[in-house]
Amino acid sequence: MKPFFTRSGWIARVTFLEAIRQRFFAFLLVLSAAMVVSSVSFRFMDFGHSELKFVADFAFGGMFLFGSVLALVMTAQLFFAEIDNRTALTLLAKPLSRTEFLLGKFIGTWAVLGVFVFSLAFLQGVILWSRAQELIVLATESGRVAPEFSASGLFSFAVLQWFRLGVVAAMVLMVSAVARTFLFAVVVGAMTIVAGQLQWLAQEALLKPSDANALTKALLWLSSRVIPNLQQFNIGDTLVLDPSAVPADSVGAVVASGLFYLIAFLALASLAFRRREI
Amino acid sequence: MTTASAISVQGLTKDFRVGLRGIKLRAVDNLSLEIPRGQVFGLLGPNGCGKSTTLKIVLGLVPATAGSISILGFPSATSEARQRTGFLPEAPYFHKFLTGRELVQYCARLSGVPSDQVNDAVEASLDLAAMTEAASRPIGTYSKGMLQRIGLAQAIVHDPELVILDEPTAGVDPVGSAAIGRMINAMRAKGKTIVLCSHLLGQVEQVCDRVAIMDRGRLVLEGRVDEVLAQRDRHVITVEGLTPQAREAAEAALAAHGAKVTSITHPRRSLEDLFRALVTGSRDA
Repeated sequence: MKPFFTRSGWIARVTFLEAIRQRFFAFLLVLSAAMVVSSVSFRFMDFGHSELKFVADFAFGGMFLFGSVLALVMTAQLFFAEIDNRTALTLLAKPLSRTEFLLGKFIGTWAVLGVFVFSLAFLQGVILWSRAQELIVLATESGRVAPEFSASGLFSFAVLQWFRLGVVAAMVLMVSAVARTFLFAVVVGAMTIVAGQLQWLAQEALLKPSDANALTKALLWLSSRVIPNLQQFNIGDTLVLDPSAVPADSVGAVVASGLFYLIAFLALASLAFRRREI
Repeated sequence: MTTASAISVQGLTKDFRVGLRGIKLRAVDNLSLEIPRGQVFGLLGPNGCGKSTTLKIVLGLVPATAGSISILGFPSATSEARQRTGFLPEAPYFHKFLTGRELVQYCARLSGVPSDQVNDAVEASLDLAAMTEAASRPIGTYSKGMLQRIGLAQAIVHDPELVILDEPTAGVDPVGSAAIGRMINAMRAKGKTIVLCSHLLGQVEQVCDRVAIMDRGRLVLEGRVDEVLAQRDRHVITVEGLTPQAREAAEAALAAHGAKVTSITHPRRSLEDLFRALVTGSRDA
């Protein structure tokens, strides 16, 4: 078992080094960081929510949007770079199984996504904490209820986002394992992300009593099981600003669900890649 | 496990499906081949004859439609077979941000070289490939010849018994080609089996013990180089100081015994020899 993880670890290491050097990664990280920082300037807008909630939602949105783009494009790009540049020929001629290769690619990509998520979460934490301190002083002076900010909640949120991006990367890797071109992998990968974002609709439709026929119900049931619910990871503002409202075991349950889909998609990717001609 | 053959191919067939209608294209057609251990074996043929496909199937990179392959007694594509095989692909491409040494270390780790032996193995293979001096430079700065040599170093870092080289001298100048030829000879001296796929027939003739020629997916000839190239009904006699009178007398004497002189020419060296002598000489100076 040890050589399996050692070899995957080396693939992951080189994948990480390759990804972290990409201008695309740097561009999205800077763009997302700019979005997080600029969220402070929108604090005077009032859409019926508290200031910190608006700032947090805006920054979480940036992390979600650019993180999804990064997970989608970078996973497909790193996979197809090995195939198109024929480095895979050299690597897969070695005593390295295709599962080890795919696992290494995934771990390397997921590590880069971790750098992305936790860097932004740290930046957002600094911004939210400093603004929360100002608001606490103002609230104390005016006798209002002071806003709450939970650093551990932000960390939990970052972990959830990291798992969400991990599920996305695993889905894209599964699509890439069968796709012939990078473009096909990106387009189909994007569709699976959209399907994951809308999966809750299938779940809701199943729960509601309806006169839909058996086939429709079967399709709804299937899509609610096969497609992961990516919306379940979006409990960031509650975790950060009102942590007591989140049940203690909910983060663990979402992580477990993400881990299940992540492993399932990687297993399917490995199965599909096994007989692919390199 | 010891077998006489380094590679044994039996009834290998590979069909590709092309186009929307899935038209069948046969790349390798019922190929059977035995590659003996400890020899340099040349696999030749025109573009599209199925050599690279055969090599990819041998390495487990492409599944065969039919047939079986064993490498050093192990079924191909198994970990045991790959552990004993080194491969240099045609026009190799490596991660440009890695240095040559990092690449060879990376490949050593993937090939299962024990941690405490990695550094020694890496330095030995870099030395054999004459890449020690350039090993600390990023691969992105390498010339084509250096890329081939670092590719060779990564192929042999785990000291494989079988080394498969696909066009190792493609795009490399004659001096670089000669260096790669010397490396092949050094590996042969260590008892390695080398399968060489090349279009440079002169080089194949020089370094190979046996050759196989493929055409349209089929094996058309296989045997020892000296046997397949020998023309047993013709002879070459090299003579110095041949005067016109002596030449006429020699022709008459041969004709008296039923032999016919078909050509008398001045021997010439190959352009490759001339080029190598001139360029190597100027570089050495």
